[in-house]
Amino acid sequence: MSNKLLDRILYKYLIRRLGYYLGNLPGIIYILLLFYAPIAILFVISLTPPHKYIVIWEFTPINYFKVFTEATYYRILLNTFMIVSVATILLIIVAYPIAYYLARIAPNIGDRLLLFTIIPVEVNYLIRIYAWRVILGENGFLNSLLISMGLIHKPLTIFFYSWFAVVIVIIHEYLPYVVVPFYLNLRGIPNEIYEAAMDLGASKLQILRTITLPLSKPGLLSVVFIVFIPTLGEFAIPSLVGGQTGLMIGNLIDRYLSQFNLAIGATLSFFLLLFSIIISLIMIRLFGYEALYAR
Amino acid sequence: MKGEVILRVEGLWKYFGDVIALRNINLEVLKGELLVLLGPSGSGKSTLLRIIAGLEKPTKGKVYMDSEDITDLPPYKRDTSMVFQSLALFPNMTVYDNVAYGLKIRGVPKDEIDKRVDEILDLVKIRELKNRRVTKLSGGQRQRVAIARSLILNPSILLLDEPLGALDLKLRKELHVELKRLHEEVGNTWIFVTHDQEEALTLADRIGIMNNGRLEQVGDKWDLYEKPATRFVAEFIGETNLIDGKVVEVGDKYIVVDWMGEKIYAPVLENIDRGMNVSISIRPENISVSFRPKSVGEGVNIYEGEVVDELFKGSYVIYYVKIRNGQVIRATVLSKDADFDVGNKVYIYWRFDKGVTIID
Repeated sequence: MSNKLLDRILYKYLIRRLGYYLGNLPGIIYILLLFYAPIAILFVISLTPPHKYIVIWEFTPINYFKVFTEATYYRILLNTFMIVSVATILLIIVAYPIAYYLARIAPNIGDRLLLFTIIPVEVNYLIRIYAWRVILGENGFLNSLLISMGLIHKPLTIFFYSWFAVVIVIIHEYLPYVVVPFYLNLRGIPNEIYEAAMDLGASKLQILRTITLPLSKPGLLSVVFIVFIPTLGEFAIPSLVGGQTGLMIGNLIDRYLSQFNLAIGATLSFFLLLFSIIISLIMIRLFGYEALYAR
Repeated sequence: MKGEVILRVEGLWKYFGDVIALRNINLEVLKGELLVLLGPSGSGKSTLLRIIAGLEKPTKGKVYMDSEDITDLPPYKRDTSMVFQSLALFPNMTVYDNVAYGLKIRGVPKDEIDKRVDEILDLVKIRELKNRRVTKLSGGQRQRVAIARSLILNPSILLLDEPLGALDLKLRKELHVELKRLHEEVGNTWIFVTHDQEEALTLADRIGIMNNGRLEQVGDKWDLYEKPATRFVAEFIGETNLIDGKVVEVGDKYIVVDWMGEKIYAPVLENIDRGMNVSISIRPENISVSFRPKSVGEGVNIYEGEVVDELFKGSYVIYYVKIRNGQVIRATVLSKDADFDVGNKVYIYWRFDKGVTIID
């Protein structure tokens, strides 16, 4: 009897388990090698003392202290966070009404109209940024327009190489990526839900407040994951239109890596990763895992 | 109070583009009754219900409630409440929030809402689920929440659009009993849409049969079964043999119809004339089967035929009898009397007044 029992336990807890892990091994190796190993290397390098061209194999947390104590670093970190936050909030304010219009007010032609918000993405990312240089530049379209209208007498400098320019260009670059998730989210809410609310006496505004907005949380979560977090690492936009006030952490990482100061570059990269993970966890904590997939 | 007309629909037409969803619907709904609108999918029954709810505007025609014209009133100004096919529960809310929604919107004080919600949840027997999220409920429980959410507003008319459509058969049957009880306890008027004949027969005080945008007949179940007004109704409710023929003689009590060379007697109708095409519906259970011809007097249809097939149904057997003109007639015999086999020569017969004459 005890032999049989032992066999069963062996089978159940060892052999089956083992088979389970062995079967998944190729996938696990793939993920570990291609995703987690580079991150581990990054972390190890971030613990070496800062030096150009070579990595000195001594370990010290000094780089991490620098991030918090040296003004250059933490000011740019803060600036990055502010730029991305303001841009994301403005993006939601601009995109939600568009998505709402496409999904609810013009549902018959919504799919086709959505195409018009997506088409600009077909134009190369860098070309679009350069286009903004023409619009925002000191002798650019915007300043010329304002001068010809007599509103200003000499070109304004806040439009270009500024915080403002970075926010504007981020909004333009990422608008489709905010409209689409909200659109899909709103399209997924069955019409009968709105009809039921109306039948129970809710006005259009009450329906928006009690039904539509609360049910838009999955869209909001998508936006945080598709726009907010990736934009934290943005570096082309601040390089081309940001100037001094529009510097972001991506520029800093770029600067140290092109100087071959791998330790500082790795520290900043790892810090960015950590920050993104923390925000992801907070969002998941607030909205729940289901919101990632379900409506 | 009961028996008064609470809702009247007059000459209602509805077009969706070129598609005609409703054709000249006239309907009176009585106070306190449970009226079932029964019809196949696409027959217009849901459209009719949505027009009564105010969710859809009719192309032509009027809706009156308590003699007041409500055709152009928005849904929330009507004393009706709708239970949707998908139930349309608010997924972001708990059972309590769903049920309380209508009262909250109306700005009813919190303690009164609490009291009403408890009462209504007791009525539908789900008080213990009050703080559960609706996404965490079973199909039957969701059903009850949907009905509670509508009933809490005390609507004069509750409209139900195939609310049991998504549930399995066993649960549906349980809920039929429950719905019947609820209707009796609440005492308001219910209009219930379904495509399920059995559901209609179980629930309804009266049934309105819809087909292809028309309201074919309204009546209690016995009326519909025994006196179908159209071929569609005769076939849709229960089993029947439909016999088409031309009237050759009109008598005082019965008419004689030529049915592919056979004579058949059927009840006389007003406005019937020689040469008209009519259908005769005769239920299988009203046809007798025997080995020997029985002399049964005037006005009896009797035909010699051969059993070509039999279908054992438990308590009864359906025989398919082919008669001389080549037509096959179905007749049911109780199992204890079912002595016939395929290939037997038999006689089938029924008195003319067992049949129903239909002019379509």
